[in-house]
Amino acid sequence: MNDLRVVMVSLKARSLSSAVTMGSVAVAVALLLTMLSLRSAGFQAFQRGTGTTHLLVSADSSPLVAVLNNIFYANPPANPISWAKYNEIRSGFPYAWAIPTQQGDSFRGFPVCATAPEFFTKFEPVRGEPWRVREGRLPQGNFEICLGATAAAGTGLRVGQQVRLTHGAGSDHGHEHAEYPYTVVGILQPTGSAHDRAVFTDLESSWILHAHDRREQEGKEGLTTAADLTDADRLITGILLRLPTRPGSDGSAAIQQQFDTLRRDTSIVVAQPAQQIDRLRSIVGNVDSLFVALGVAVLVSSGISILLALYNSMAERRRQIAVLRALGLPRSRVQGMIIAEACLIGLGGGVAGVALSVIGGLAAAAMLKARIGLVVQPDLDPRGAMIVLAGAVVLAGCAGILPAVLAYRTPVADNLRPAA
Amino acid sequence: MRGYHGRVSSVLDIHNLRFRRASGFGLHVPSLQLGHGQTALLWGASGTGKSTLLWLVAGLLRPQAGTLEVAGERLDAMRESDRDRIRARRIGLVFQTHHLLPDFTAEENVAMALMAAGEPERGHRERARGLLASLGIERPEAPASQLSVGQQQRVAVARAIACRPALVLADEPTASLDQANAQATMQLILDACRQAGAALLCASHDPAMRDRFERVIDVTPFVQGVPA
Repeated sequence: MNDLRVVMVSLKARSLSSAVTMGSVAVAVALLLTMLSLRSAGFQAFQRGTGTTHLLVSADSSPLVAVLNNIFYANPPANPISWAKYNEIRSGFPYAWAIPTQQGDSFRGFPVCATAPEFFTKFEPVRGEPWRVREGRLPQGNFEICLGATAAAGTGLRVGQQVRLTHGAGSDHGHEHAEYPYTVVGILQPTGSAHDRAVFTDLESSWILHAHDRREQEGKEGLTTAADLTDADRLITGILLRLPTRPGSDGSAAIQQQFDTLRRDTSIVVAQPAQQIDRLRSIVGNVDSLFVALGVAVLVSSGISILLALYNSMAERRRQIAVLRALGLPRSRVQGMIIAEACLIGLGGGVAGVALSVIGGLAAAAMLKARIGLVVQPDLDPRGAMIVLAGAVVLAGCAGILPAVLAYRTPVADNLRPAA
Repeated sequence: MRGYHGRVSSVLDIHNLRFRRASGFGLHVPSLQLGHGQTALLWGASGTGKSTLLWLVAGLLRPQAGTLEVAGERLDAMRESDRDRIRARRIGLVFQTHHLLPDFTAEENVAMALMAAGEPERGHRERARGLLASLGIERPEAPASQLSVGQQQRVAVARAIACRPALVLADEPTASLDQANAQATMQLILDACRQAGAALLCASHDPAMRDRFERVIDVTPFVQGVPA
């Protein structure tokens, strides 16, 4: 027989109360750890998703909006850029590549990105990880599409099927480009970036769709072809730019210089995606801290539940405490047993919370990947987990102090009298 | 009181002990001694302070004046933690309602006393099982709550003598029993104390118990103020 055995039997005797209290600690610890691990993992995932683009040009309202719209498909970019402007920018500097993109259409809620073949051959959605085709091939001619992995899973489309795109981002409200069926020619491997949610096609087909709308409004009949396109139809919404770099290096001293040069053109917005993600982090960081604070608050409330559970049990335990004292156990040792009991609840709940956070983190990561194509790798920092675990145990120990004081003050002789 | 070569001649030695509760009830014990292995009955009607005197001897209450020595140790002058140590090692307690811990097994209830006395844990099981077997408990692993009243009383006796105490204090151990069971229980306690070599100071108001003890101490003259 030892003190720990006494504590364990006491916990077992109140197994329901102990389990519920441990559960509340587990949820609090899991919540806190999941928030801490997803906090950094989330931003790493955003950084990862910017791919090999050095600069992004669009006509959005701000650089951050430009990045969110053009790279993360948050919303269709509102303002177009002319093809002439694209050519002007491309010829203004010896870029490694300058890839035009156009967004605005969708298929069942998944954004459509019309682009040039270089998007698949030169741009890498994740640094060091080029595009790979899982099934079929990349679009080569007009009215062909290939699907990002999430879009393919979400739509259930297979290679060879025909689809009709919708004008606008919504799945229900835009009008359908019914005259121009697209053929699914390929499905891409998952990249772990937002591009997995996209449907890709060529620029000319997209221009033809919108030129057809224009021509219909002008009262012209018959299907529109490439020959009918005018300069006003050749619109894009973004330009992905990469400057030449030395082998093995991703950076270039010219990036900032070229960024400043492009920024002088007030008709466009230019962004360095990596910088904008950092900016987003600084903006969202406060909200993020709020969530962590909420996690801490939940942990404290679980400490209060430990206090209440032990406090409420003290009335029925007075006789047990009196007997232990009568047997010769000092007050301090009985008090220590109560605090140890609280600490064990904290430890048990904390360990369960760590396990729960690992499971929860994986579940959240799977959900983020499925919903927005964001690959988040919840990385449970062992040191952070140990600190939170130790915090839970200390908090539980503190919660045990008041019940322990009650135990300390239990009058032995009074509680050894036979019940009336 | 120390005898020849400093050997303690009494297991209990009280002189001019005074204790008063806030309620006004008080005890004054001018002198009381109990020899090694001796048995004594604290006699008196309910409320005359028998239990209070037992708790004083157990070190659970502290007297305001006088000396109280148990097994050669001055309890009246000790800090509470030291009184706890003496109680754990030198005093066994038997209560009217047994006061076993219901969530623990019979064996664990006995081992609890050994733990409190600081006996090495590796010997707890053997000692507890041996004592329980000698008192006729065949299921030491049974939870105390599942034992009959008679079995619980035997476990309580085993717990009281587990640490080979010099003095066993019994507070009305037969008060809730019928006459036949009361006699049997008292015999059990007396036998256990005799075998353990412990003195027994037993509080009771049962006249049938007077003849079972070597001495009968009437506590009525000790009472001062309002009876408890």
